[in-house]
Amino acid sequence: MAEKFLEVKNISKSFAGVHALDDVSFEVRKGEIHCLVGENGSGKSTMIKIIAGVYEPDEGEIIISGKSYKRLHPIDTIREGIQIIYQDFSLFPNFTVAENIALNKQLSENRKFFHKKEAQQVARAALESINIKMDLDSLVGTMSVADKQLIAISRALLQDAKLIIMDEPTTALTGREVKSLFKVINDLKARGISTMFVSHKLNEVLEIADRTMVFRNGKKIIDADAKEFDQSKMVYYMTGRKIESDSYDFGDQNKSGTPLLSLNNLSSTGRFKDVSFDLYKQEVIGVTGLLGSGRTELALALFGINPADKGSIQIEGKAVKINNPQDALKHGIGYVPEDRLTEGLFLEHSIGNNIVVSIVNKLLSKIGLIDKNTKQKEIDTWVKDLSIKTDSADNPAKSLSGGNQQRVVLAKWLASNPRMLILNGPTVGVDIGSKSELHEIIKRLAGEGLGVLVMSDDIPELLHICNRILLMRGGKIVDEFQASQITENELAEKLAEG
Amino acid sequence: MKKFLRTNEFYVAVILILLCVFIGIKSPVFFSLQNVFDLLRSSITMGIFAMGTLIVIISGGFDVSFTAIAVSSMYITIKILFAINYEGSFLVALIISALIGLLMGLINASIIGFFRIPTLIATLGTQSLFHGFLLFFIGSKYINNVPDGMLRFSRSNLITTVTPTGAITGLQSGILILVAVVIVVYLLLRFTMIGRNIFAIGGSREAAERSGINVIRTQFFIYGFVGMLAGIGGIIHGAHYKQGNPFDLVGTELNTIAAVVLGGALVTGGRGTVLGTLLGVALVVVMNNSLILIGVPSEWQKVVLGIILIIGTGIPAYQNMQAAKRVKTNLAE
Amino acid sequence: MKKSLLFVLTALVVLSMLVSCAPKTAATEAPVAEEGGNYTIATVVKLTGVAWFDRMETGVKQFGVDYPNVTTFQQGPAEADAAQQVQVIEDLIAQGVDAICVVPFQPDSLEPVLKKAMDQGIVVISHEASNQQNVNFDLEAFDNAGYGEHFMKQLAEMMGEEGEYVVMVGSLTSKTHNEWVDAAIAYQKANYPNMTLMGDKNESYDDAQKAYEKGKEILKAYPNLKGMQGSSANDVVGFGQAVEEAGLQDQIAVVGTSMPSMAGKYLKTGAVDSIGFWDPSLAGYGMNKLALMILNGETPTDGMDLGVAGYESIKLVGKVFYGQAWVDVTAENVDDYPF
Repeated sequence: MAEKFLEVKNISKSFAGVHALDDVSFEVRKGEIHCLVGENGSGKSTMIKIIAGVYEPDEGEIIISGKSYKRLHPIDTIREGIQIIYQDFSLFPNFTVAENIALNKQLSENRKFFHKKEAQQVARAALESINIKMDLDSLVGTMSVADKQLIAISRALLQDAKLIIMDEPTTALTGREVKSLFKVINDLKARGISTMFVSHKLNEVLEIADRTMVFRNGKKIIDADAKEFDQSKMVYYMTGRKIESDSYDFGDQNKSGTPLLSLNNLSSTGRFKDVSFDLYKQEVIGVTGLLGSGRTELALALFGINPADKGSIQIEGKAVKINNPQDALKHGIGYVPEDRLTEGLFLEHSIGNNIVVSIVNKLLSKIGLIDKNTKQKEIDTWVKDLSIKTDSADNPAKSLSGGNQQRVVLAKWLASNPRMLILNGPTVGVDIGSKSELHEIIKRLAGEGLGVLVMSDDIPELLHICNRILLMRGGKIVDEFQASQITENELAEKLAEG
Repeated sequence: MKKFLRTNEFYVAVILILLCVFIGIKSPVFFSLQNVFDLLRSSITMGIFAMGTLIVIISGGFDVSFTAIAVSSMYITIKILFAINYEGSFLVALIISALIGLLMGLINASIIGFFRIPTLIATLGTQSLFHGFLLFFIGSKYINNVPDGMLRFSRSNLITTVTPTGAITGLQSGILILVAVVIVVYLLLRFTMIGRNIFAIGGSREAAERSGINVIRTQFFIYGFVGMLAGIGGIIHGAHYKQGNPFDLVGTELNTIAAVVLGGALVTGGRGTVLGTLLGVALVVVMNNSLILIGVPSEWQKVVLGIILIIGTGIPAYQNMQAAKRVKTNLAE
Repeated sequence: MKKSLLFVLTALVVLSMLVSCAPKTAATEAPVAEEGGNYTIATVVKLTGVAWFDRMETGVKQFGVDYPNVTTFQQGPAEADAAQQVQVIEDLIAQGVDAICVVPFQPDSLEPVLKKAMDQGIVVISHEASNQQNVNFDLEAFDNAGYGEHFMKQLAEMMGEEGEYVVMVGSLTSKTHNEWVDAAIAYQKANYPNMTLMGDKNESYDDAQKAYEKGKEILKAYPNLKGMQGSSANDVVGFGQAVEEAGLQDQIAVVGTSMPSMAGKYLKTGAVDSIGFWDPSLAGYGMNKLALMILNGETPTDGMDLGVAGYESIKLVGKVFYGQAWVDVTAENVDDYPF
């Protein structure tokens, strides 16, 4: 077994009396790919920040290369060869690639003067060391996420990194980009550089890890060789319970009546073409397809953001036009967007205000002012009904975890009492426990009479909550499946075809 | 070359040249040596202030207190020199004023650095504080003369020329101080690590902290340096107008900020060049000092100024929008 | 370190606020209760501690010396603020003064309190407020047209009634400045056909630096310029500097409103030839005189002599008396006016 590089011993840390980390110990060995998984709030980021020297631990010690620290300062961490790549990469958008890569090295050498030529040499060498070619003079602000990641990694390597900690590194990467990132990580491993891979994407962890540990509620639950884990075991350790996945039972009993929504050859030039299907009450239809297949575009058309230009839409048998979101609202269509952070929520505003924002009209008292009691009642109902986890609905929406934020968006739409919900990527960026709770909520809502359209490429999710799945490719519906009659693998193959 | 065509500097330069050619055609006096010297003289203090403002804006901050610092340093220096009856070199006045400016700049830095108050709010506060302090504790009386050293300086010229009316005018020596300040700021921003740190903080303060940049120390440098420049600009201003007016300058800070923004500095921080700022200052100075020459009626002068400002800031903004679109399409691919 | 710094800063802020807010009044002595023909006349100015109103106070005091039966004093807020001025007048009403002479900061906001004063039989005289309603009379040093014409007469004389001239105002929206200049231009057109106005009104923004820069530009734009008339106190200061630097003191006549303390330097070098203003001490004296006349039961009439220089034949329009009380200051007599 390789020698120890980092040893964390009995670390505890509380914030305002709440245990963020409780007596955590672990080791990272040379050249090891060490994965850390856990749900939001499990203490992952607190741990990273303690190693980074941003937080001071209340108890415990950290031993790096045999040297013990009661607390680390950022500069100690850097000098000991630990580099952290945060989710936002901490790059300077206004600097060129070369300037970004060279900056930390120049800083740590306590330079007084800056030489452009030298920065370029340094940067070129660093990129070459991970076999990447890039225009050194491009502004980082104009580059893709994957490129930024590579810049961040080569910057870390320049500081003679012995351990690189990556916080959720794959969040914004495409499948191919993830593959090339893994290749880089494996190259690092071959050079004896350890990686701590912090993620909640279990399939990636299963693929890359040498060793995996799971945090839950500030405690280390398990720490073992990666071979001992499979997906369901990891989910169990993360959530502390078995997650059942019953598929949604819709039955055909309701299909006799008028469909809630009926699309007839709906087309939008350049986006999708000849889309036809019926959505009944209590039905959950999944619409899947690769990026660019037209599924998001269809959702946007149904909500009136980018209206369709051909074909017809019928709601409960009546032909309607949906030219803007107001039309959609009028016909009882609610839309939960993919990027809830920018499209669905007012992050700085309170949870309560976010929930009632679309139903302000209903809350007006006789004299036209907002009735505080009615408003509070409405808010309380939804916080309870959707189990939104917060001390107070007066906290800002940004204080919530991803899953809870998603519930606030849902609550916002449900409060307006829609007939139909369009959910676009409902659980993107939501951790496993919350995800299954959201799934239960969606199924329950459908059971109560709502029609639901789910745009997603998350296959287990589709099979779990939908009764019917439409497959889109190149803007057209190319196939249709009953969720109960297809397996995950079959659907994955169909999705990847063509 | 193609890259240069996309820069703000290029557009400001084009507007400036077009404006100059237009004014020159309407009024040939514009290109006379005398007028060029006058314009340069008018640029001295604004140029010095603009160099300071540029540094602050690059760092992602906003300083509206520099005029109050300038007028306070100037007025206090004049009072001190009169009190000790000093009639020697202007250099002494310059150093005293710069030191007073530095001190006030450090007060700005303490408030911004230790209490983390947004820079605009902090400097709005200190603007009132400094100016109020000056008026209440130092004096609010207009001093209609300045010490001998300052008088001699204001009369000194590098090159002299005789106007058609027989008067002698010249290139005011203060231009040397502006040139020195410009060179220092250029070297600072381009070749030193402290300059890198200023850009870094403006680009992403959080990333800067994580890289181990001492943000507070850098802010002390920035606001101290800018305060010093304000002190230098203030005393030169006092010398040029041969008076100590405690109500001077305050309220004109937006002109300087406009010049810097015209010169392509990004208000959100992280970007800005010395060349662009100089062009911006030149544009503002030419605009402010040429409308009578070409006979624009007073009522229309503000309209014309407004139009040129909108064009000058609009083109870079449009450029940025185009650049942003290019990024988006890159991502979509 | 942080704490002590915070303390010092807070102390500074509080201190400066205290200084600025303290209702510092310039009361010289407490008014004595009236007895027999003895009257107390209070003069209320916009603010105290500035040269202009310090000068006015000398006139007010002089009146008290000249009329031993009358007690005169001057008061005013420490900063130019309408509410504080109202407060000062309220206090005076409570003290039971016989007459109030006032230089309003905001004429409108003083109406109620002045009405209250008049209702209680207090005589009210105002200055620099020709539209004030609740007063017995308003006294103006001059009417604006006459003042503007006076400058044009001076300018024409210096220019030999011919040649190019320019005019400058503090701002195009300043009513008085524009009235002065308009009257002057009209007078020139009617009386001096050989003089030519170049360009239109130039704006100085009441700023000597702007006036200087515009001045330089004007000198370049109109190389044959022979005269300039300024309006704001800063106009001739900045323009004079431009003239001096161009060495054109002897070629260009510069006249306009200013203060000796501001323009004195240029009067002496000849860059500025003559400045005009009204002497606040005389205005203060004149207001007190008007007030005393009314208290004594006399009625001031159109064309009467107030017995004050420049107010020898005051013209009555409505409630407003106009004098011809401008003072011309040149290099010879500038040292007589220390403000």
